[in-house]
Order: sequence, then C-alpha cells, then structure tokens
Amino acid sequence: MADVATIIPMQTAGAPPKLSRLGAWTERHFKWVLVAPAVGLILGLSIYPLLFSLVVSFINYDFQVPGHAFVGLRNFKLVVFDPVARWSLVLTAFLSGTSVIIEFVLGLLAALAMVKSFRGRSIVMSILIVPLFISPVIVGQAWTLLLQRPFGPTNYVLSQLLGHEVTISWLTQAPWLYISLIAADVWQWTPFMFVILLAGLTSIPQNLYEAAELDGVSAWLAFRAITLPYLMPMILLALTFRLLDAIRMFDTIFIMTGGGPGTQSYTASYYLYTVGFTQFHLSQATAGSWLFLIFTAIVVTLLVRRLLKPEAV
Amino acid sequence: MPSRPKSFSRRWRLAPILRFAYLAFFLLFVLVPIYWMFNTSIKPSDDYLAIPPVWFPDAPTLVHYEAALFAYRGLEGLINSLIISLSATVLSALLGTLMAYSLARYNTGGQHLSFWVLSQRFLPPVGIVLPLFLIYRNLGIHDTRFGLILAYTMFTLPVSVWMMFAYFRQMPKSMEEAALVDGWTRWQAFWRVAVPLAAPGIVAAAVFAFIACWTEFFFALVLTSRNAFTLPTVFRAFIGFQGAQYGEAAALAIVSLGPSIVLGVLAQKHLVRGLTLGAVRG
Repeated sequence: MADVATIIPMQTAGAPPKLSRLGAWTERHFKWVLVAPAVGLILGLSIYPLLFSLVVSFINYDFQVPGHAFVGLRNFKLVVFDPVARWSLVLTAFLSGTSVIIEFVLGLLAALAMVKSFRGRSIVMSILIVPLFISPVIVGQAWTLLLQRPFGPTNYVLSQLLGHEVTISWLTQAPWLYISLIAADVWQWTPFMFVILLAGLTSIPQNLYEAAELDGVSAWLAFRAITLPYLMPMILLALTFRLLDAIRMFDTIFIMTGGGPGTQSYTASYYLYTVGFTQFHLSQATAGSWLFLIFTAIVVTLLVRRLLKPEAV
Repeated sequence: MPSRPKSFSRRWRLAPILRFAYLAFFLLFVLVPIYWMFNTSIKPSDDYLAIPPVWFPDAPTLVHYEAALFAYRGLEGLINSLIISLSATVLSALLGTLMAYSLARYNTGGQHLSFWVLSQRFLPPVGIVLPLFLIYRNLGIHDTRFGLILAYTMFTLPVSVWMMFAYFRQMPKSMEEAALVDGWTRWQAFWRVAVPLAAPGIVAAAVFAFIACWTEFFFALVLTSRNAFTLPTVFRAFIGFQGAQYGEAAALAIVSLGPSIVLGVLAQKHLVRGLTLGAVRG
C-alpha cells in the first residue's frame, strides 16, 4: 500500500522535526486550528447574517420607507396578520406533506421491487437516481414543457386515453396547479426515498425471510413482522430529511407558476422572497424568516438530533 | 418436506410480474420528462403546436442550442457555474476535511460542535439569504463570483463535514498513531497519512458538493444579477413567454444536465452516505 511506503522513509530519517514558532503553536492548538476555517466561515456567512436579520426585523428597513427607526414588534405583526402569510404556511404544510407521503409510498415500492437482483438491475438503478442530480429549476422547466397548455402533450395524451377532450390549464388553475407542483416534486425526490429505503432493505438479514418461508408465513405477514420493524429507523430518517427539504419548496414554483394565479401558489419561502425582493419590505421579510426559522428549528431539534446520534452510526 | 400452503406460493409467483410492471412504470415516469425536454430542444418551433404532438421530429435542429448559449447568455452562465461550483467544491472539501478530522480524532467541542454544523444543513435558506443580500451589498461583493463562492462553500460545508466525519470515524487510527510515535507532528500525521487514506471519501464528498452547487438556484437568484449569474438562473429569461422560447429553455436544460448526472451516476456507490450526511453507510 502506498501509505506504508510514505511512512518508512520518514522513519529512517530519524531526527524529530524542528518546529518554527508558528508550527509549535499550531501543534499545541491543533484540533482548534483544524476547525477554525470552517467555523469562521459559518459564523461569518450564517450566524452573523442571522443576528443581523434579527436586528433588521425590529427596525424599519424598507426600500420604500426611509430611516431605520426601532419599531418593536410591528414587522412581526405585519406577517402574523397577513392572510397571504397564513395561506402560504398552510400551503407549505399541504404541499410538502402530500409530496413526502406520495414519495414515500412510491419509493418504498420501488425499493421492494429492486431489492432482489435481476439482469439489468444496475442500469435500472442508474436511471432511477438521475432526478436527484438535476436542478429543481430544470425539473420545473421539464414539467412546464409537459403540462403547459397548449404546447404540452399531457392534455392530448389524456384526451386519447379518456376518449373525450381534456382542456386542463395545469399551471394556472386550482386544484390542477397543486397537482402539477406535487408531480414535479414527486418526480425529483421519490428516488431519494427509494435509495435510502433500499439501503435499509438490503441490510435486513436474509435468514429471517428464509425462516419465515419455511414456516409458511404469508408474504404480507413477513413484510409486517420482519421488513417494517427493521426498516423503521431508515423510514424515519428518510421522512425527516425529506420533509425538512420539502418545506423550503421554492424553485419549481418560481418556474412553473410564479406563485400565481394571484397568490394561490405561495409557499412560505416564496412569500418571504416576494415580500423582501419584489415589494422590498425587507424588515417584514426578515421578521417572517425568523418565525419560519424558529418553526423549523423546533422540528430539527425534535427529530434530527434523535435520528443522527453519532454513536449509533 | 411438507408442502407449502397454496395461497402462499401463489402470491410468491405473482410477485415478479407486479414487480417488473411497477419498475417499468417507474422507469417511464423518470424518462418521459427528460425525453420530452430533449425532444423539445431539437424540434423546429413550427412543431410545438402540432396535434398530435411530435414525438420524433423529422428535421432535428440545433438552432435552439445556439440561441440559448449565445442570445440568452447561457454560455456565460455555464462558465460562471463551472468556476463558482469548482472553487466552492475545492474549498468545501478542504475545510470540511480539516474540521471533520478534528471532530473525529479529537472529539473537538463534543457533540455540540458537530450538531451545530449539522443544524446549518436544515436552516431554511430564505432566512440567511435576505440579510446576506444586504451584507453583500454593503461589502460590495453582491453579484460577484467571489461572493457566491463563499456562500456556496458555507452552504455545502455541513454535508462535507458530516460525510468526512463519518469516513474518518470508520477509518483505523493505527497509521496516524504510528506516525505520531515516530515523532511526526500532528499536522504531518493528518496531511501525509490520514488525508491520502481518506482520499476516496474526500472525492465522494467533493462530488456531492459540486452537484449541490451546480444545481443551486435560490442563493444565485438573490446574490447575483447581471455579472456572476449561474446557469440555473438563466432560466428566469424563459418565464412567462407562453411557449415562445421553449426550445431555448429545453436546450439549456439539456446542456446543464450533463455534468451533474455523469458525476452523480459515477459516484452512486456513495449516494446513500451523501444523502444522509454519512449517517447511513449504504
């Protein structure tokens, strides 16, 4: 091995290395020196902005109103009492919840179908994971191409299948636009569930199934009594990770519906973006971001810490 | 050997058919949007409104690619994306490896520090992007590649750190300990022994950092405008034109798919670790 080769010449070199002052200092504080650059970057580009935005959310910082006077909780009130904000939160919960559940069911089925090996499995595997490596913007664009009236082929195909003419405005009419947004999300992220659940399935000891088969246990019972309990930690991990990403939903909405019609497809992220960058009420947007952040932080502490215990890895 | 109950064996026999039918459906579901995008990108504009839709264009054309790359500045976006993603990837892999080694070997900061880094992964970007926009404007690095490189390094760090954290933890310490006994400095034990041994893990972490940067939209949308714009943000130009520029949009999408898909499929062995931040080995 190459590493052995690199060590031996140093051994024969003998003399302990002489350190400069800087080298000696580095050596003494080695573990902190290693973490310093990464911690510094996160402090500068994440913690400092967050604290800054906390300040901004208590003052007037608005490109339409001059001055930076202290306004107390006004910015928070503006968000809390804004019906659009409330709607966006409801829609975020609905879209992310629905997408994640569909992704879980489809992903689990795919994982079950893929767990036993067959000819061509590795090619199928490579194709199924492709959506994970595509920008959500492009996913949104691809589904726009499929769905947009009158260019997309979807209505034509549906007309042929159903035997009567279908003229659905998939991107501008509720409830179809929600179905479209969910379809795009499901397309991109079902592979996520699939990959994680497949890893979980392959780690279940096979002899359990052999024993069950000898005992004449039905496939359904084997699934309930062996597969599900063994898979449960993976299921929880996959659901949590996915849900925490799904509640940020922004890119596909930006491309597919632009939040419209009106404010009907505003999610929390889209709402905050619009308030901040098209209406320029920056302090209201940062106040809203903090509320959203606290909401997310609660979910993270409750779920993620429990799932990712380092010693359990 | 006792014969099995009838109902059981029948179910077992049915399974393969259902299994392959479902996989076929799934493959179709994944491939159709990609195929339709490709199809749109090489189709003459006259075919867009044809009924029935044109699934195989008779006279494929590359005009949309030319327009997307030059008229819509797709090429500039591509170059910016390459420079920004590669720089951020190198920085993220470097800083992530340094930190992960310290966390794994010296238990620096206990659990708190590692979870603090992890929590960054789950912060909603919208909470950071708004103030970052104001800070960048004050510093004069708004709409610069440098600014976006910093932001992307920060945004990929949690994944790099945790992937490498998991990698170092399952790597035996004995080589580094032998080096220290021989009088090497800690830095030498890290840089000349641990890093070469961890090279496969570092490459995998770097691949996922690159894909994350290459496909990122939200930071780029807010932190850049006319100069440092990346490939995904070019798609803004195609919104709301009701089909007039579909060929260009599709062509640009096809151009942008290549790098991340190739890298992702090549690194699929590490995919589970990448998606779960090293929590699941796969």
